Amino acid sequence: MKEIIAIIRPRKMGATRVALEELGFPSQTALGVLGRGKQRGLAGEVDVEIPPEVLERGRTGGMKYVPKRLLTLVVHDGDVETVVRAIVKVNQSGQIGDGKIFVSPIDDALRVRTRETGGNALV
Amino acid sequence: MKMIRAIVRPEAADVVTDGLAEAGFVSLTKIPVFGRGKQKGITVGATHYDELPKTMILIVVEDKSVEEVLKLVQFKAYTGSFGDGKVFVSPVESAFTVRTGTAGL
Repeated sequence: MKEIIAIIRPRKMGATRVALEELGFPSQTALGVLGRGKQRGLAGEVDVEIPPEVLERGRTGGMKYVPKRLLTLVVHDGDVETVVRAIVKVNQSGQIGDGKIFVSPIDDALRVRTRETGGNALV
Repeated sequence: MKMIRAIVRPEAADVVTDGLAEAGFVSLTKIPVFGRGKQKGITVGATHYDELPKTMILIVVEDKSVEEVLKLVQFKAYTGSFGDGKVFVSPVESAFTVRTGTAGL
């Protein structure tokens, strides 16, 4: 089993969920988070016109963190590539701030209702 | 790659992130969380608080940088009293940038 952690734009959440549902991965956990990447947060992330004199002052005036949605789903080893590709396809806009995806190993899972463990506990 | 989850005091979160940024670890995610440790929350007068607000700082770095980040977090989040927080390190097999679709940090 692998855990896929995707940090994406909040606005793309609906489209991502629909795309994953179509592929057969309806179960997921979503969190509202604040984050930043290599660009140290962005002033251009919000749809507000920034006066040129502010831009001249450099990045110091920008937003420190950008609101994002953190999406977690646990899938079988073989499905990792499909899910990652689907998330990339839906969320790719070409602009900085599209997000990151991390894949890490998961040792075990337990479904509380039926006490199934391991791969059976997934969908 | 390793994922480092540092659960620190909310008021120390900015000190930690600024320190990390200075050392070159700019990318991170900040999550407000509630939790408790061995002390089972805190009792102030007659009121017992089961869970305390904390901030989780989530950062993924290359294996060789783990030690430096841990040292930084420990130094910046330290006050010496209970509730300074915990740091967990877990493996990450791969990372992808959504904009370009390429692998790697």
